[in-house]
Amino acid sequence: MRLRRNTKAPAPDPNVLLPPEGVPLHLSVAGMGARFGAQITDILITVIGAIALVVLLAVMNLTSPQTLWAISALLFFIIRIPYYVLTELAWNGQTIGKRMLKIKVVSRDGLSLSAHALVVRNLMKEAEIFLPGTLLLTLDTASPVASLIALGWIVGTIMVPLLNKRRQRLGDMIAGTYVIDLPTPILLKDLAQSVPKPVKDKFVFLSHQLDHYGALELQTLEDLLRAQENRPSMQTNARNKATLDSVIEKIRNKISYAEKVEPADSVAFLRAFYNAQRAHLEQKQLFGERRQDKFHADQTTKD
Amino acid sequence: MEEPTDLIRSARFRKEREDDWMRLEALVTKAEGQGLRRMSFGEARDLAALYREATTSLAIAREISLDKGLLRYLEALTARAYLSVYAPQESARGIVARFMRKSGPVAMRKSWFFVLLGFLSMGLGGLAGYLLYLDDPAWFYVLMPGELAGGRNPEATTSYLRSVIYDDDPSASGLGAFATFLFSHNTRIAIFVFGLGVFLCAPAILLTFYNGLIIGVFVALHVDRGLGWDLFGWLSIHGVTELSAICIACGGGIQLGAAVLFPGQNTRAEALRIAGRDAAKLAIIAALMLVAAALIEGFGRQLIQDRNARLIIGWTIGGLWLMWFVRGGRAQS
Repeated sequence: MRLRRNTKAPAPDPNVLLPPEGVPLHLSVAGMGARFGAQITDILITVIGAIALVVLLAVMNLTSPQTLWAISALLFFIIRIPYYVLTELAWNGQTIGKRMLKIKVVSRDGLSLSAHALVVRNLMKEAEIFLPGTLLLTLDTASPVASLIALGWIVGTIMVPLLNKRRQRLGDMIAGTYVIDLPTPILLKDLAQSVPKPVKDKFVFLSHQLDHYGALELQTLEDLLRAQENRPSMQTNARNKATLDSVIEKIRNKISYAEKVEPADSVAFLRAFYNAQRAHLEQKQLFGERRQDKFHADQTTKD
Repeated sequence: MEEPTDLIRSARFRKEREDDWMRLEALVTKAEGQGLRRMSFGEARDLAALYREATTSLAIAREISLDKGLLRYLEALTARAYLSVYAPQESARGIVARFMRKSGPVAMRKSWFFVLLGFLSMGLGGLAGYLLYLDDPAWFYVLMPGELAGGRNPEATTSYLRSVIYDDDPSASGLGAFATFLFSHNTRIAIFVFGLGVFLCAPAILLTFYNGLIIGVFVALHVDRGLGWDLFGWLSIHGVTELSAICIACGGGIQLGAAVLFPGQNTRAEALRIAGRDAAKLAIIAALMLVAAALIEGFGRQLIQDRNARLIIGWTIGGLWLMWFVRGGRAQS
């Protein structure tokens, strides 16, 4: 038996999902912490639900105290599986816990979640989470062999999601699903949109001056400028001023920009440079020349 | 409105489409909040149309724009819209109906071989337990867990054994509690057996076999005292359903384990996924049967004390299950 199959194509990026439209989407795989948190929340909800029902039964005096214990164990079990399946079906892959922690189950093939997949992943949850959990609570030093087997199983089920790239449980593998972080769309102001006319005329960059940088530097500059926008108080901060000055100094040296930049104009200069640089790079990109970073010149000669 | 003409290309691109994105964002929020079913036709149509538009925007933006903020926004928006558009459209009731009418019994027939293996594991276990007891009654203590036996062991008197089988005063004995306990025990066994199947077949088979052993020695004890038929009746009324459920769960487990052991041309994960389609249905059927068994056990066993009535009810219900498996989901002819 071959241990590794080397004939396979290189594994695809786990964070990319391909919808039927054919434009790949980046959806980052949820971390174990968020999933654990969601799991705890859901367990609490179902336990509270079961307890409420048991209390109701007890108050209504329907059962004897002896049977109550057995019934509560049964209730917890009967409430649990439908809870997960129905919530994930109703909310498209989210239980209440998952909603709170902003994670979601998606289908690996990019199609919509099938009822079958949801049933499978939640049935396997019994064997993968609840049984090891119960075993952990009932570990008994009196029977070392049984405890060892139980421990082995617990470790095994914890290891499975840690060992694959998409953090899939066995249930996820069988169902062909995995859990992602739900992205939040925030539309930031376009930096290139709001340049006042006088500033545009004040700083003029020539084409050869814009040839030095690539997309990486541009987007780093974007982050810096966005930080300035979001926190106006920073502009009076001395350390921030020093950072801006040093950035401007670096850029001026690199592109051999002769004129001095007044401290009051530093943000305006950077914005003007960002604008010009972006227009320049995007223009190049349109003609098929992508510039990753400032080392792009070396890369193109090497290839 | 006068368009600013000094905008660079990607900023113009954004300006032209921004309003549509905003509308899509509002629709997605609505769809996530209340579900597609409750949205009006116009909104649902716009959601789908705007989603496709946003997908195209994203593809173009990746080519022409270097605005990281915009790219991130479009990524997130398209992903959210995608998740809303491709949401399960089935209702819970439709799924249950389809399962009962068709997919459940069909899965059962497709994996008959694995179910047979499940029944074989338990049957052989029962036979082995029976023979072991005949060989030496001391095996009873080895195989039977104490809390399950409930005082029924080779030293108990025949009249005591008979009194447990025919309970004269059901309300006082707490047998209801015992029955429920037994149910949750068997449910756990069934889940165990199914879940263990994934970890290769052996644990599932062994556990079912062991369950068979317990029943074997138990039966042997009663046959030894001439209570064979009486125990058979006692076991039949719910056991036909309950033990079959365990065997079916075991069959599902073996199916999963077999997929891991013998993946054939597929990768192991792939094989597991394919086998899971039927195995999960077997597990659901087993769960349904266990719930049914619990109901029969909770009421029937205490209320019905006659041996023949127990036999008839138990095997009739068994026959009904079998009929569902054999006839269900076949095209009407």
